[in-house]
Amino acid sequence: MTNRRTIPQNLLLALAICAVLLFCLFPFVQILSTSLKHQIDWGNPSLIPIKVNLEAYKELLGIVKKEETQIPETIKRLLDNPLITEEKKEEILETYRSTSDVFPFLRYFLNSFLLSTSAASISLFLAVFGAYSFSRLRFKGRKIVQRGVLFVYMVGGVLLMVPLYQISVKIGLAKSIWGSLLSLLFIYIIQTLPVSLYMLGNYFRSIPYSIEEAAAMDGCSRLEAIYLIILPLSVPMLMTVFIYCFIIAWNEYLFASVFLRQFHDFYTIPLGLQSLFVSKNAIWDRIMSASMLTLLPVILCFTFAMRHLTGGLSEGGVKE
Amino acid sequence: MDLSIAQRESRLGWQLIAPSIGVIGLLIIYPILYNIYLSFFDVRLSGEKFFIGLANYERLLKDTAFYGSLLTTFIYLVGSIAGSTIVGLLVALLMNMRFPFRNIVRTIILLPYFAPVISVVFGWQFIFDPVNGIYNHLVVETFGLTDNRYNLIGDPETALLVVILFDTWKHFPISYLLIISKLQSINRDQYEAAAMDGCGPIGRFFHVTLPEIYFVLGTLVILRLIWNLNKFEEIFLLAPNVQTLPIFTYYTAFTGIIDQGFAASIAVVQFIILSFLIIFYVKKVLKW
Amino acid sequence: MASVKLNNIYKSFGDVEVLHDINLEVEEGAFVVLVGPSGCGKSTTLRLIAGLEDVTRGEVIINNRVVNMIEPHHRNIAMVFQNYALYPHKNVRENIIFGLKRAGATKELIKNRLEKASRILELRDMLDRKPAQLSGGQRQRVAMGRVLVRDADLFLFDEPLSNLDAKLRHQMRSEIRRIHREYRTTSIYVTHDQVEAMTLGDKVVVMRDGLIEQQGSPMEIYLKPNNIFVATFIGAPSMNMLDARLFPDFVLLEGQQIPLKKRIEKDHFLIPEKGRDIKLGIRPDFFRNEVFLDGETSMSRIEDVKVDLVEPLGFDIELDVKVGAQSFKARLDLRTSAKEGETINLCFDMDRAHFFDIETGKNLFLLPL
Repeated sequence: MTNRRTIPQNLLLALAICAVLLFCLFPFVQILSTSLKHQIDWGNPSLIPIKVNLEAYKELLGIVKKEETQIPETIKRLLDNPLITEEKKEEILETYRSTSDVFPFLRYFLNSFLLSTSAASISLFLAVFGAYSFSRLRFKGRKIVQRGVLFVYMVGGVLLMVPLYQISVKIGLAKSIWGSLLSLLFIYIIQTLPVSLYMLGNYFRSIPYSIEEAAAMDGCSRLEAIYLIILPLSVPMLMTVFIYCFIIAWNEYLFASVFLRQFHDFYTIPLGLQSLFVSKNAIWDRIMSASMLTLLPVILCFTFAMRHLTGGLSEGGVKE
Repeated sequence: MDLSIAQRESRLGWQLIAPSIGVIGLLIIYPILYNIYLSFFDVRLSGEKFFIGLANYERLLKDTAFYGSLLTTFIYLVGSIAGSTIVGLLVALLMNMRFPFRNIVRTIILLPYFAPVISVVFGWQFIFDPVNGIYNHLVVETFGLTDNRYNLIGDPETALLVVILFDTWKHFPISYLLIISKLQSINRDQYEAAAMDGCGPIGRFFHVTLPEIYFVLGTLVILRLIWNLNKFEEIFLLAPNVQTLPIFTYYTAFTGIIDQGFAASIAVVQFIILSFLIIFYVKKVLKW
Repeated sequence: MASVKLNNIYKSFGDVEVLHDINLEVEEGAFVVLVGPSGCGKSTTLRLIAGLEDVTRGEVIINNRVVNMIEPHHRNIAMVFQNYALYPHKNVRENIIFGLKRAGATKELIKNRLEKASRILELRDMLDRKPAQLSGGQRQRVAMGRVLVRDADLFLFDEPLSNLDAKLRHQMRSEIRRIHREYRTTSIYVTHDQVEAMTLGDKVVVMRDGLIEQQGSPMEIYLKPNNIFVATFIGAPSMNMLDARLFPDFVLLEGQQIPLKKRIEKDHFLIPEKGRDIKLGIRPDFFRNEVFLDGETSMSRIEDVKVDLVEPLGFDIELDVKVGAQSFKARLDLRTSAKEGETINLCFDMDRAHFFDIETGKNLFLLPL
């Protein structure tokens, strides 16, 4: 068995690789392409737009000024009154501007971002101490906790949709927007906590005990050893877990739709995009550009995370 | 200073994990139990409950939509797991070879997995759009396979196929990752020995590669079964007319004639199936 | 400077008792070595002193204070770990001064101590490197640096040289000796290498299976081993153990009667009529070739010793020999011309020979039975 490949074998390999790449990338390219096409162009199978259309992006990003619709006569006369300040006039005009066509992309983005960041941070914080505990400290019931974490991780969130809704109704959280947001935050935390515990637990288990013992000899109490030694050592893993939790919260649709249904301004991205799709504004170029805009940050995070995903950071500290 | 070192460690252990356990207990374990409790009630959206015993379950067992959902779920599971595992395996075998630009390719193939569902789902809908989509264009105009353009996603039965394809596309990277790390640990010597014994590439695959990755494949299948049984967004956002169990539960709980007690009972059935799978995984694979 | 005392220490892990009634005293400024085969409990003992393990029963006393309940980071002890346990994300400088910073030392002090330690350990060029970029020997020195800069009462060493190659080990041994001479801190050192034990320790503690077999100065242990285990464990090549029978006036070895220097009286120990079966212990280096004795007559003699193998070692010649059915080793003078297959006579000083009880292994003349 030689390592050299014949020409036909090389050709086959190249074809296979191209097929795989095509399979992976095609949907992304399609999204990009359609987002840049004018309406007439959409049915055109070619991926390259005849003429590039940036309108959808501009509108989503709020670069384009909204059009003014008809303003009733009485209001016009009102606006001519010199006693009304410029600000007041602007306000009144605002309400008459056509806003029904706009998909408040940036607002949805912000909502998703805030919610995901908060959930991921809290989850990470709880998980760091919890995972450290059951992976490195000895206490009774530790095994049960470990297995419990795994079990809960696998059970998933779909089973909780009814009870959690019922519970928040009972407590009265589902009525107000802040109550709903809070409920959603809690739900995202519990959806991400088990997986964080699991991943961090595995990672902490791989750090040799002797490093902590050395820290003890150097005068650190247990908690000090966690802050000063274990955490700095775990930074790549912590980031990975944060990003993983962030993505889970970012993607989530089910509970967001249940809790935020009535509060349009507070929609997260999945909810917003979905409602855009079923609304009268279901215009492909807008939908595709919205998709593209939501894709970019995650891809950025992903490339960032990949660069830091080197395992074995303990390498060099301890003799194997 | 009155506690021994072991005792102090124990106390710290409990202190650090208490908040997590609190959260999980309150927001996961309690709701699961509450769900089981609710399934014996007729529950309205407002929160009023009327105890009806096993009536929900009786209704469930007679409900054709429920059985339809079970069937859909079953087909979905088989299709998506077979798809993502086989494609993952093929890609892993491919990536195990050396070729130029391998690193770039390695990064690109992970993209489908990391892309948020909501970002790609509409792209997929566009591809299968009867008016604009490239699928119909290829099938009808380019290759002439059928005469009329067909809305695959509109019809629940063909939509299921699209969903399976989508799942394969989205999740093969994780199968690929797990398989390739095992593949790369197989010693070259084993292949060479097999070649000496007269095995061609196919023979080597069946006699060297497959036995080594057998365990990884098994683990993968079970884990994906467990995960896919819980999947919601991937299916609902792409083709909400494909009613796997989670989607069926969602509709029952929040749309149409809202009956959350009934939905709870569906969730309980799902929970039972899931528990069997988890126990199987834990016993057979993790050997606990 | 600290003194350490272990009183009746017992340690169990779950149901398994690994240390049985350990009693040990370490004087201020002493360098004590715990030596023994793997699993004898020496590391466990060290960790008990460090506070990394709980004591099941008994007391650990440091500077006349019972420290059982005091946590390791309050005991003011510095330790070198077997696998170095360096902080991987910190560079050499930060690794070394970490403990010192935690103790709240001034910048001046840190600078001075670091300077001194890095000079002694030849680490000055590597202060900015990370552990992953260092070789094994360098990492070991960083681990030692961590210990030296501290103002600790006690230095603990857990088999620090076992991961180094022979040459480096030799070098580091001298370093450690030199450092102890300079710093004079009470030190407890654990190793399985008896050469390290003999060269480094003021006092050597030989352990086996959770018990202390013997403790004393290296010379004491070497010349007066309490039992067969200590006798064969210490010294390389190990002491020969020959099956023989003891009589009041002589030793019967393979049919030869070798006279004793002094008659054994009844109150020493019991010798039955037909003699007492013993193991006769003689170190290979205590043998002399009869040819080169120049008339010294105080030596005892084994005759008809057949030479099986001759290994010239440069400074000595090591012979594998046989008397009757028993094989043993002898280290003889360089001038020996004995050849394989020849028969020679070997001489030895009976005072240097030991008689060990066959059943208990104890040295009949040293320990009460």
